[in-house]
Amino acid sequence: MAMTETRPAPQSDVALAAAPAPEEPAGLAGWLSTSDHKRVGRMWLATSLLFLFVAAILRELLAVERLNSGADLLTDGTFFQVFTLHSEALALLVVVPFFVGLATYLVPLQVGSPELAFPRGAAVAYWGYVVSAVVLVAAYLADGGITGTTAASVDLYLLGLIALALSLSVGAACVVTTALTMRAPGMTLLRAPLFTWSAVVGGGLLLLQLPILVADLIELLIPARYAGDVGSYGDIAWVWGVPAIYGLVVIAAGVLLEVVPAMVGRPLRMHLAGVVVLGLLGLFGIGGWLLDPTAFDDLLYVAMGLAAVVPALALLGILGDTVLGGSPSLKAPLVLAMASAILLFLGAAAGAVQVIEPLELAGTAWESGHAQLVLFGGAGLAAFAALWFWAPKIWGVHLSEAAGFAVAALVLGGAILTAGPDLVAGAADDLPMGALEFEETDLVSVTGGIGVAGAALGALGVLVGVGAALAAGTRRRGGPPVPDAPWGAAGLEWTTTSPPPAHNFEEQPVLRVERAP
Amino acid sequence: MSITTYDPIGVEPAPAPVPGRRNVMLVGALVATAAGTVLIGAVLGGYLSARDIAQARNQPWPADDAELPNVALFVTYIGLALSAFFAQWAHAAIKMDDRRQAYMATSFTVVLGLLFLNGMSYCWNQLGQVAGASPYATHMYAVTVTHALVVVAAIALWVVVAFRVFGGQFSPRNSEPVVAAVVIWHFAVASGLVIWWALWFVEGGPG
Repeated sequence: MAMTETRPAPQSDVALAAAPAPEEPAGLAGWLSTSDHKRVGRMWLATSLLFLFVAAILRELLAVERLNSGADLLTDGTFFQVFTLHSEALALLVVVPFFVGLATYLVPLQVGSPELAFPRGAAVAYWGYVVSAVVLVAAYLADGGITGTTAASVDLYLLGLIALALSLSVGAACVVTTALTMRAPGMTLLRAPLFTWSAVVGGGLLLLQLPILVADLIELLIPARYAGDVGSYGDIAWVWGVPAIYGLVVIAAGVLLEVVPAMVGRPLRMHLAGVVVLGLLGLFGIGGWLLDPTAFDDLLYVAMGLAAVVPALALLGILGDTVLGGSPSLKAPLVLAMASAILLFLGAAAGAVQVIEPLELAGTAWESGHAQLVLFGGAGLAAFAALWFWAPKIWGVHLSEAAGFAVAALVLGGAILTAGPDLVAGAADDLPMGALEFEETDLVSVTGGIGVAGAALGALGVLVGVGAALAAGTRRRGGPPVPDAPWGAAGLEWTTTSPPPAHNFEEQPVLRVERAP
Repeated sequence: MSITTYDPIGVEPAPAPVPGRRNVMLVGALVATAAGTVLIGAVLGGYLSARDIAQARNQPWPADDAELPNVALFVTYIGLALSAFFAQWAHAAIKMDDRRQAYMATSFTVVLGLLFLNGMSYCWNQLGQVAGASPYATHMYAVTVTHALVVVAAIALWVVVAFRVFGGQFSPRNSEPVVAAVVIWHFAVASGLVIWWALWFVEGGPG
């Protein structure tokens, strides 16, 4: 019997590139089934902003309760649960997803690619994030997360966190692979924009740290599930402590290095210096080895905590040099970015002080004050700077300048006023992190009141920012068209329309580089 | 569309243009492998750390009531190691455009992966350890179940590759997805061999 095998003719890369963009269903079905990196990126951004607002409200709740006004909104146990949910939400439901989403949207545009690597993987990562966030919050609502009294709710909490970490890892892997493999002809990795660099460094760090968190959670899940032996919150809190917290904000630094030069009309004096700063932030942000509690006495812990000031200082120096040498236009993205840089530096300084062992600040409220400065203040303002800067490219509109200034003032003030009382309580009163009961002194009363005001300002700032973004989303249909490069910035994303077409560029961009005159 | 920009780093002029899409699947597989290595390394590190602590306190490790089924473990892991040859064979067959060998090699790879899972479930049963009952049981299951999940993920990838091989999608010029699947499979096998050595061989040997 003769057997003939046939095989479809292989499609060439050229044919694939020239293929028209597949039509996506309109309406809700389109959003649910999309694998377009721009739509997926917008969904990441919207969802993480929603959680930012939730985190700000939780912070206000904690501050009011700590005021010891007799309101008794939360019991002892509930206070700690809200505290842990707030920390987890800020790090894993807001900061990391926002920057993964921003990178999902922007990196293909910045490297001149028509799409993201593994677009369906990116969509799965987003939906995994949504589902696991719902599971995590449900576990808290059911029985209080890691301090829950029933085995089922603790299992749910741990499984929710595992799924969340895996989803964020997949999202980061898609971004890193895009930056490494899908750059336009002529764009070497070293010449890639600094935001793309930060996505590579920050995404790489996520891929190095989140699997360690997953391993940690698996080791907590087995005894919790089968022996009812629940671990402690301290087993996973290293993710948003010194030095791992700096790994979470590398992409925020990348945002600042893009926004500030564009807004002052002067490129960085040394592109390579920006790359080095991002690399150092990544290097000093590796903290997975902190699983062992004895590591807090380790010289390595102290050295890395102190050294983290160096890239923060260098970042501030580079940005300051660029602003002084350029002609700054006082626009909202620049104000937001500079406010973010200040808070990131203050956060790095607070982190450096925290690791000095004789001061005994580790494990006290100082740590939560530090996290407020870095995550809510520094990273939050960088997120808003990114929204105001890239809004023309994301939604095809400009966000309100007045709202941008208001967000900068409110979040900057809010972060400082919220973090300040925690720093004072940790340094002066040794108040343990997440503790409700503490000795009532005049100092504590005064700082507690300031903390309530700060948290309210921060929440108001977030509300204004989210409201401005929502308003932009509704205005985009009827507003005037926005130019391709409204800020006069360089970079491939500014060479295409605002917002970009289905495959990002009408033609494949080719980068030809000339020496500066 | 040609875009001219100034050199941001002040070194040599730009190199000749290169194709826009370079080894996406392979690099993606390497990125996933790096993350997987950290995951396996972390659970293994947790196991070895707990083992050190137990031995420093003169506590038994493995637990007193644990009976290591060394022969079954040896056969199970050797089967997994053998599957690496079949995975490589599948790639070689596609590079040689020999479809019949490619069918056979991909099928054997998947089957040996399934046999590994079957062997592990038997070994877990023979060990007689209740999860969470002791630090040994907790960490032993953390390592082996995590690795088993990695193997499940690799099998799922190979099932997709196998369907595509049967559909005639790959050719000597277009074999990158197979290379990516081979990388993932080799990672699953290599991490399995490290686990076999660290968890089983040093505790009792294959005898």
